[in-house]
Amino acid sequence: MDLLSVAAPFAPELILLAAALLVFLLDVLGVRRLEALGAIGPTATGLAFVLVLADLGFSPLAGLRTLGAGSIDQVPGVGSAPLYAFSSLGLVFQALFLVAAFLVSLASLSRPSRERGAAIFFGLLLLATLGMLLVAIASDLIFLLLAIELTSISTYILVGYTRRDTRSLEAAMKFYIIGALSSTLSFFGASLLFGAYGSTNLFAIRAVAGSVGYPVLALLGYGFLLAGLAFKTTLVPFHAWAVDVYDGAPSDVSAFLAGGSKKIGVFALFLVFIGPVLFVRVGGGSNPFAGAPFDIGPVMQVTLAAVAILTMTVGNILALLQREMKRMLAYSSISQAGYMLIGITIGTSPALAGATLQVLAHVLMKGGAFLVVAAVAGLGVGPLIDDWRGLGARRPALSVAFALMLLSLAGVPLTIGFVSKFVLFSAAVQAEGFFVWLAIAGLLNSALSVFYYARVLKTVFFDPAPPLPSAPTTADAATPALRAGGIGYARAAAIGIIAVAIVGLGIYPQPVLGAIQSAAAHFVNVGA
Amino acid sequence: MLPLLSLILATLLLGTVATFLAGAKARWAALGTSVAFLAEVGFLFLSYPGWPGYNGALVPGFSDQESYAWIHLSWMQVNYTVGVDGISLVLILLTAILQLATVVYSWTEAKRPAAYFGLVTLTCLGSFGVFVALDVLLFFLFWEAVLVPMFFLIGFWGGPRRRYAALKFFVYTHVASIVMLVGLLALVFYSGSTSFDFASIYAAARGLSPVVQVFLFLPLLFGFAVKFPVVPFHTWLPDAHVEAPTGGSVLLAGILLKLGGYGLIRWAVEVLPIGFSHVRPIIFFLAFLSILWGSVLALSQRDLKRMVAYSSINHMGIVLLAIGLGSSLGLLAAVLLMFAHGIVSALLFMSAGSVHHTFGTRDIPAVGGITPTTPTLSTMMMAGSLASLGLPALISFPAEFIALLATWDGLGYLVLLPLAVLVVTAAFYLWMMQRMLFGPARGIPADAHDIPSHEGLAMGLLVAMAVLFGILPGLLVNVIANSPVKGFPGT
Repeated sequence: MDLLSVAAPFAPELILLAAALLVFLLDVLGVRRLEALGAIGPTATGLAFVLVLADLGFSPLAGLRTLGAGSIDQVPGVGSAPLYAFSSLGLVFQALFLVAAFLVSLASLSRPSRERGAAIFFGLLLLATLGMLLVAIASDLIFLLLAIELTSISTYILVGYTRRDTRSLEAAMKFYIIGALSSTLSFFGASLLFGAYGSTNLFAIRAVAGSVGYPVLALLGYGFLLAGLAFKTTLVPFHAWAVDVYDGAPSDVSAFLAGGSKKIGVFALFLVFIGPVLFVRVGGGSNPFAGAPFDIGPVMQVTLAAVAILTMTVGNILALLQREMKRMLAYSSISQAGYMLIGITIGTSPALAGATLQVLAHVLMKGGAFLVVAAVAGLGVGPLIDDWRGLGARRPALSVAFALMLLSLAGVPLTIGFVSKFVLFSAAVQAEGFFVWLAIAGLLNSALSVFYYARVLKTVFFDPAPPLPSAPTTADAATPALRAGGIGYARAAAIGIIAVAIVGLGIYPQPVLGAIQSAAAHFVNVGA
Repeated sequence: MLPLLSLILATLLLGTVATFLAGAKARWAALGTSVAFLAEVGFLFLSYPGWPGYNGALVPGFSDQESYAWIHLSWMQVNYTVGVDGISLVLILLTAILQLATVVYSWTEAKRPAAYFGLVTLTCLGSFGVFVALDVLLFFLFWEAVLVPMFFLIGFWGGPRRRYAALKFFVYTHVASIVMLVGLLALVFYSGSTSFDFASIYAAARGLSPVVQVFLFLPLLFGFAVKFPVVPFHTWLPDAHVEAPTGGSVLLAGILLKLGGYGLIRWAVEVLPIGFSHVRPIIFFLAFLSILWGSVLALSQRDLKRMVAYSSINHMGIVLLAIGLGSSLGLLAAVLLMFAHGIVSALLFMSAGSVHHTFGTRDIPAVGGITPTTPTLSTMMMAGSLASLGLPALISFPAEFIALLATWDGLGYLVLLPLAVLVVTAAFYLWMMQRMLFGPARGIPADAHDIPSHEGLAMGLLVAMAVLFGILPGLLVNVIANSPVKGFPGT
């Protein structure tokens, strides 16, 4: 086997690795300019994105994954326990991760060029993305958790990379401690599962899951694993860190955390829970209460349902109470994770497709919203929602883009946020029985969320601009600061792409939805 | 065959984009769009099959139907399906007339005209979409697409309490929409139809048991009743109306309230006839409550605009009553009433707007004897008020006459209740006219002069429509009577 056929399936990952090393190398060689280092970020992620799309059949290029050892959606033979496997749903997630990384690194080209630490920012962003790509191809618990660690450690540093702001440093410290705790829980869970099943390979676990000898041990293992992954995915009650971290981190990093790296938790939950667990039902049917007391599937399903409802509700209610823009967005991000969990709880292929679409929507709308926050902060607007008063008149294009993101978060039609909720809830209704209540809980929650999104829209567009006490008293004092500097072409381009994608996919989602649907169907049929 | 409906949608879409981009020339773009829209609707109207002499088969068939795949998944098929029948056609005609009138009336809008006219066009685009959509998701999409521009119209161009009113309007109607969406999705999935098309849901819903039909009907009724609005879900309406700019009020009363009526007929009553027949007592109760409470509230208002707003609740109550009768005569009356109310309430809201910026107040007792100062405005107000109280030869008369006839047919002596309320309505319009139009002049500023010609033109257009269809209601009746679903098999 020649080197090319071994390396070719990993081309996207290798591109990111090489790009990250290049960034660090250039930094050592004395190239410190943000534009020079930064240009590597969008280039590498964009290239990797095109390659992943090729594997999904979206471009005229042939897919590299089918070369050599790699093949998509194949179950390995009995006895082999591969560390990685390519599933088309995993590739969809890789594409989503790369979109998030591309947009954030593109927008970050507009960060102030005097700022120090460009190499750290772009290098770690690429490494974190590499970890995310590895999560999407994992088929072994240890490989999965190590890939998550790669992303986590990179993002701990990213949060505090400016090294000046004490709030960022505090957030980074908090993120690190909580992250270490969650990793510990996950690894402990994995070790218990190894005890119960005799393997950490997901295919192997799936093969023996029906006849596990120690259900209580397995249940404990899944419980710990869920707790660990719940931290990463910001599920209630393991969500408290997220708000401080998203709030304290530079907004571009928050965009990456909320829009990108948090979603590795979602895919990890897909891997761990969809294949082996949910289809081991004794009671059968769609009533998870019908099984025996220690049936793993039903117990986990009820747990996941409770966590989903709790996450949506707590996130939304706390978002309602926030006065700061970033904290509001952070809580809304928590509630959106609850919607994704609905899909995992149901576990049918329509529901998975809905959850995946919800991930896509969230990458665009929440990532975009934090990018707008970064842009607006650069214009000298304060952190409070009230500080955004009158922005609609001063920055109409930026405000309209932001409005599209909020409307999408609220689930207003003609946006991707509506399509994703529609697919998800209709999948829940279609699954019938117990799951209809999940759809109803989700709908009630999206009704609730309209309050705080509409309030922000009202503030931005209708409320008169506040007097700016610090403004220099010149003849043109009505629009100080705001007129002075732009938000930068790269950031404007990233926000523009997101706005167009939100509406474009809201109007005609079929190509993307079709691909996600068939990927989800394969995933459910093949398993991990 | 010409894809006429898609062509109209494309016209409105292009018009909206052009208006938003036209800057200072936005009003011309909006005018061009509305004239083109009206012309196309006129063509649609005249080419409607059975115009005249349609034998009216009872199958759910629609004219000018188009269908293209939109979202096709293994467990559901959503299509872009549009089509019209007599009911939607009449309401589309209303939309086109009111759009033109609104654009002309707001001709001199100076506050961000591009955005204003763009949002007006967008609202009409959404409403047109609601009336032609024959797919659940498409319907819901247009339904919500009306909401956002109206939110901005109220919130940015409205009166002093506009921000509160806009937020209340948005939240109130959005929550109702979500309940409606639950109902519609449940309807699709429980009927076992994987397609979201009206035709397949209509066919599949025949097999549902009465209990299921009732449970599916209730969320739909709630969703549409808020839009109507029906007492006790009406509290968003006075705030929204009073704070909205005149153009916004015209669209709100003239078109948006009709979405509720249309939705109830098309997606609830026609699809779930058995459920409907069981829920009828609730509908009658809500209708009588709205009729009574609406007129009581209207009587007690001093603000002209508020009075017109509350009388809308009263009139829409009669529409709900007519729908609730469940006879083809009642249905005919309901659609005619909606058309009449659209024209007349638009006229009255325009009058209220003109009174406000001519005299600086809308307080009825504060201004009187305005006829010598503003003869055009008084004429239009009088025409509107007379039409509203049901003077023969004006559009409301045939509508209310048929409604009363149908009520007598269906409910016997209970017809006395709406009849009495109609007399009360007549009384409060006459009283208002007597105080404001006639008598000694009072509260008139020295520099007051008659309304500008574009306002007169817009109101004149509406008066002409009221007279035309008042004398020749047959133009509308023929079309409505040729709707595919006639009467209701469940009653």
